[in-house]
Amino acid sequence: MIIFSRILISSLIFVGILIGFSNALFAQENSTKFEKLPSKKTGISFKNQLKEDGQNNILRYEYFYNGGGVAVGDLNNDGLDDIFFAGNMTQNKLYKNLGEFKFEDVTRSAGVAGKNTWTTGASMADVNGDGLLDIYVCYSGKGSPESRKNELWINQGDFKFLDKAEELGLADPSNSTQGLFFDFDNDGDLDLYLLNHHIQVINELEFDAVRQVRHPYAGDKLYRNDSGKFTDISELAGIKGSALGFGLAVIASDINQDGWVDLLVTNDYIEPDYLYINNGDGTFSDRITNHFQHISHFSMGADIADINNDGLPDVFTLDMLPEDNERQKLLYGPENYEQYALMIKRGFYHQNMRNMLQLNQGSGFFSEIGQMAGISNTDWSWSALFFDANNDGQKDLFVTNGYYRDYTNRDFLKYKGDYYFKQAVAKEKADTLHLVTSMTSTPVHDYFFENKGEVKFQNTSLSAGFGEKNFSSGAAYSDLDNDGDLDLVVNHLNETAGIFENKSNSGNWLQLELSGKSGNAYAVGSKIRAYSKGKIFFLEQHPVRGFQSSGTYRLHIGLGTADQVDSLQIIWPDRSQSLLKSISGNQLLKIDQTEAKPVSVDPITSLPLVSKTLGPDFVSTQSNVNDFKRQPLMLTMPSHLGPSLAQADLDGDGNSEVFIGGSKGTPGRIYSFKNGTWEVYRGFRSSSDFTDAVAIFHDFNGDQKPDLFIGSGGFHDYLSTDESLRDRLYLNDGNGVLIAQGDFPKYMISTGAAAVLDANGDRFPDLFVGGKVIPGRYPETPDSKILINDGKGKFTDQTALFLPNKGKLGMITAAVSQDLNEDGTDDLILVGEFMAPSVLINQGGKSFENQSKGYFPLNLSGWWSNLTQADMDGDGDLDLIAGNFGLNSQLVASPEKPIRLYSADFDQNGSIDPILECYIGDSHYPYPSRDELLDQMVSMRSKFTDYASYSKAKLTDLFTPEELQNAQRLEIQTLESMYFENTGTGFKPHELPRMAQAFPIYSILPIDLNLDGNPDLILGGNQSQTRIRIGKIDAGLGLVLTGDGKGNFKPLTPSESGLGIKGDIKSMLNLKTGDTSFLIFGINQQKPEVYQIR
Amino acid sequence: MKKLISLLLTSFFLPLGAIHLHGQNREIDWSKIYSEQLFHITEVMVTDVASPPVAARIYAYTNLAAYRVLQVANVKFDHGDFLSFSQINKQVADLSLEPIQSPEFAAIFALFLVGEKVMPSGYLLKEKQAAWQEWGLKNKVITKKNLEQHLAFAKAVADQVLGMAKSDGYIQLTALNRYSPKEGEGFWYPTPPAYMAAVEPEWKTMRTFFLENLEEYKPAPMADFDLSQGSPFQIQLQEVYDKGKNLSEEEQLIANFWDCNPFKVEFSGHMAIGVKKISPGGHWIGITGISAQKVGLTFSETTYIHALVAMTLHDSFVSCWKAKYETNRIRPETVINEKLDPTWKPLLQTPPFPEYTSGHSVISSASAEILTGYFGENFGFVDSSEVYFGLPERAFDSFSQASDEAAISRLYGGIHFRDAIENGVAQGKKIGKSIWQKLEE
Repeated sequence: MIIFSRILISSLIFVGILIGFSNALFAQENSTKFEKLPSKKTGISFKNQLKEDGQNNILRYEYFYNGGGVAVGDLNNDGLDDIFFAGNMTQNKLYKNLGEFKFEDVTRSAGVAGKNTWTTGASMADVNGDGLLDIYVCYSGKGSPESRKNELWINQGDFKFLDKAEELGLADPSNSTQGLFFDFDNDGDLDLYLLNHHIQVINELEFDAVRQVRHPYAGDKLYRNDSGKFTDISELAGIKGSALGFGLAVIASDINQDGWVDLLVTNDYIEPDYLYINNGDGTFSDRITNHFQHISHFSMGADIADINNDGLPDVFTLDMLPEDNERQKLLYGPENYEQYALMIKRGFYHQNMRNMLQLNQGSGFFSEIGQMAGISNTDWSWSALFFDANNDGQKDLFVTNGYYRDYTNRDFLKYKGDYYFKQAVAKEKADTLHLVTSMTSTPVHDYFFENKGEVKFQNTSLSAGFGEKNFSSGAAYSDLDNDGDLDLVVNHLNETAGIFENKSNSGNWLQLELSGKSGNAYAVGSKIRAYSKGKIFFLEQHPVRGFQSSGTYRLHIGLGTADQVDSLQIIWPDRSQSLLKSISGNQLLKIDQTEAKPVSVDPITSLPLVSKTLGPDFVSTQSNVNDFKRQPLMLTMPSHLGPSLAQADLDGDGNSEVFIGGSKGTPGRIYSFKNGTWEVYRGFRSSSDFTDAVAIFHDFNGDQKPDLFIGSGGFHDYLSTDESLRDRLYLNDGNGVLIAQGDFPKYMISTGAAAVLDANGDRFPDLFVGGKVIPGRYPETPDSKILINDGKGKFTDQTALFLPNKGKLGMITAAVSQDLNEDGTDDLILVGEFMAPSVLINQGGKSFENQSKGYFPLNLSGWWSNLTQADMDGDGDLDLIAGNFGLNSQLVASPEKPIRLYSADFDQNGSIDPILECYIGDSHYPYPSRDELLDQMVSMRSKFTDYASYSKAKLTDLFTPEELQNAQRLEIQTLESMYFENTGTGFKPHELPRMAQAFPIYSILPIDLNLDGNPDLILGGNQSQTRIRIGKIDAGLGLVLTGDGKGNFKPLTPSESGLGIKGDIKSMLNLKTGDTSFLIFGINQQKPEVYQIR
Repeated sequence: MKKLISLLLTSFFLPLGAIHLHGQNREIDWSKIYSEQLFHITEVMVTDVASPPVAARIYAYTNLAAYRVLQVANVKFDHGDFLSFSQINKQVADLSLEPIQSPEFAAIFALFLVGEKVMPSGYLLKEKQAAWQEWGLKNKVITKKNLEQHLAFAKAVADQVLGMAKSDGYIQLTALNRYSPKEGEGFWYPTPPAYMAAVEPEWKTMRTFFLENLEEYKPAPMADFDLSQGSPFQIQLQEVYDKGKNLSEEEQLIANFWDCNPFKVEFSGHMAIGVKKISPGGHWIGITGISAQKVGLTFSETTYIHALVAMTLHDSFVSCWKAKYETNRIRPETVINEKLDPTWKPLLQTPPFPEYTSGHSVISSASAEILTGYFGENFGFVDSSEVYFGLPERAFDSFSQASDEAAISRLYGGIHFRDAIENGVAQGKKIGKSIWQKLEE
């Protein structure tokens, strides 16, 4: 018996060790875990229950399903955060935190149940600066203005409250969403930004008129605190107040780090969000278009936090794009390029329906990388909260979502109108409410993403405890049980509110409680910088976050494995600072502003590597041509490929001439750059029919003068045999005049690439010309060519002799030549769209043989767009840098989940039908929306008569196995841009750093920019000519990667490099005149930009 | 027992056979039944949101199938065979099928079979086909024994008609370019509120039935885009604007009566509902049925006039759509919003295609010409085509009165300029007259 119990004990210990061990393992992997506590245990029974009837329904009130807010804060200063819930149609509830997740409903005695008016958001703030948090409650709905007056519950201590809104001037009768208290004028007291929304639908004809007028109840307001009384100074302060603003979130942050609090306001529908930059003089200016290049369309909740620990606040806005294929297919309608163009024209900016993460790159530059980060699709989303849930040092993301009726279901638009008709035929009265309540209701689960660093978020919603499908609205985080991790409070629709206990296996932490000066006792607006093991943790004291809610005032930092903070900097609202050193973790630290010292900090300024200077005043690529009108199922437009750039000293005066390629409608030009000015060079003439895809200066006739080869490309309205697709050769007449050669081989290819090489070993420069696309017949494989030079600049087409597969090599976008096998003859390396890098080995000047397998590993098929060679690791051979489509789109690709492009004339009507198939959510599905597919093929119209039938369709539902078997099939296995290390026996792929994956790369320039003796890289790209659904991919600003000479690269920010170019960079040149070195950037639709290297 | 009776009855009726339709089954109101069955085609089109030109094409081939069944069954008509001078005449091969008891039954069935194939949601007609068989058996129009023969007959004819439809250019349309707005002033741009894409910009490439050279039916030139005071365009622009602000109740009623917009989008925030109506062609098919019923046409004559009107509608649409995408003229709403009044809204929702000429004017005038030729001048009728869409009945003294009203309704509706209406009417009359004249010859 004794023995037995001993065994039992030791085995218990053993199990304990095992658990500890597995936890440690787990902690590195997937450690976040929340547990929803039963209402019985917590005592929280609040339920935001809606009652749909003739009076109260979505038809009468547009925001019927938006849900209610949450406010969290320690109302009685007992060290425990209490909770306030706002109920739309039910009473508001206040719960006193008794500790250990026990709560007491004190609503009645506190007197804060509110009124019988549609209730929206709530915030806790010490409005009167007495050291006790008060509660501001917002009202809306269709009632009278009087009924909507917001309440301000001033804390009398001991859970007694009195509504003093009227007295303080804050009983505003607007249709309010949320009140945000902050000190906008740095005068030591709290002012109020009141976020409002309109309750009527605005006819889009009225947009322009409505925009001009301040709406008394729909427009947002700014109230200034004048010694305890609040004054509406909206107009004076430059706050926009039109009825177009359907405000759903307001978040405060010092976005530009100038010591004045700025604001982000998200707007539903057409009105763009506002990014109010605080001018420091009592006014704000909306600068959203200066900083963000595209934004969420139907913006809802939002958060601002430093998600990559670089000390800069990043901005995240929510929208409604679902994650899975089925809901996407039900949601996506036809793409309307004219409507989009009109939206831009009327000043509504680039708006797309998905969550947007605007990564703060400093100096006012932001890169939108929500898709690369993996957090762009969270369905109809309400609250976004960044906080470190597992204390690993990285802020994770929680998103609430769900809309009670599937409003945006396309079948509803297209087919529910039949209801009226059918009722009429049946001679029955139509009941619109019935129609609405017959709409489907799809509950969805909340999202939880673990921040894995490097702006990579992993969706762990299910394992983290958020698998339950429901409708969630406002939310807040708070360490409710004071155990050193943050718990969650969620307000659900038609369901009891959720209290989620954090049960993660977490790392170390530090919590801060700030005591400000009177007037702003909670030090709202303070900034925290904690440094630990070389890491920065940045937080701002602004509790209003997410949606209609405000969170804890206790600041929480996860430290990961570090057990202490090396130094802690608190920048108080009055800019005084407290600096603390060596603070041990896992404690709650109280810091008082009275201990702070005024500090003037010199901003760290390092001189950027380049600075902008004057460029040629020439736009050669302005064009509205829309290739999707010709081939609707392509993803990007092949017409917009320029400008190409090339340089040579044509007239031998010691200064370089620069060729700037034209595109259809605008002929290319050559400029001379002399004494800092740009002059059109007279010795060249081209025609406006051409689109100059490739330009190469080279001495082709051996007279020591540079000649010019131009490869004509484009898509436009070119026929596949269009004269305008002819490539051209211009020979230098010796005096710098370029003469077009009529006897240059005549072939019609939309050229994508060209390379000079000696193909036949006669020491004369020959040409490889790569075809990119057949206009109107994408993605059929175009011809590529070998043109042999007789030494006098006379070329003959010897493709049949030299190239394998009769020159059908793929959709070639780039070609370089080097002697790979060191046999003394030039070999070729090619990349292209939907193909793997190819190596063509020169067979002793007789022909080329495809030996790709010997040089590149498998699974490298990509959407390659550029290939550049340079010795990056200093070992004497040429390495490769290859530009791909990148990771910042809805597309994903891997060897296991390839993107496949099937094409054939499936419906036998004479046109190629390119059908893309890719991984969406859980499996492969056709990429096109139903409208796109039906527009391409008549036969699909009877196959998929509604959106529902198409929403689950796989490619095998579209086509028979035979049809697919006979179709051309191309694949993409990787979308990542790469550095290929030349190992002497082949190329070893290395992914370029993460920021280089945020945009498609069309141009690569190896150059030692920082003059450390090691080659660096400049990467130019972006893609604005995409399907509307894809949207602008514009995260690239001219990215500089510094090289260490060993093949490792480190990205620079725009403020470090000096490069901040907005637009689609298509080409780059390094131009040297005398001792000065310049960078020229060819940008589509824009003038070239020129930078001088320091 | 029941079976026996029905067998007896069937054999009793058999000798009355097929060849002469006149006077057969007097208790059956064939013209009414034709309209009722044809309405099932309309219902599917409404569900599918068939655009006006597409709807006309569907009416043409479905009614043609019914007509061809009667032709193949050697039924005689009061007027000449319009296929003899049509561009599909070569495809009208003799089918030499065994005679059937009820060409009427087979005609309707063939109409359904063609409808099933030429409409995306044609599968919805399966149910109607079953109901029709049941009706045929119940009313002793056919027997269980000869049902299959009827179905086979209908299918043979339907297949022939579908063969014609397959070669008319429809499936080639998706291989052609979509509309890109033209650079410059005065060109069509999608219109509020839904900014729907241009409908069938390449419809001019469709094969017509009767019109051999579309150039002959080109409308008179439109007023050039010119906003200077007193220019022909400016005067017309002002007229649309002023009219829109001062519409009498009667004019509003007229505009709505002839709206015939297959898909009007109503927005309410994120929610949008498409409100549906029959197309302009559907309206004239309705009038054809009403007229046929009014004079109690036989089945064969009902079929004849429906097929002729439907095929005329198709040709009219092709002619009109050619003009539309050659002129690419801007809609009044766009100019007015840009130049005169940013908040002006037409009474009707502007349909998604260029303005010149007015489709309703062209197709109504052409239809009226045919109907007047067939039923005579001053043929009064009560138009109840729009009752299902909440609009009252409307009485007309003649087809041309109705078509003129349909034409001018587009001005009241604020979606067309006067020259698009007047020149459209002339265009339509020319089309209608030329077809009717060929019949008379």
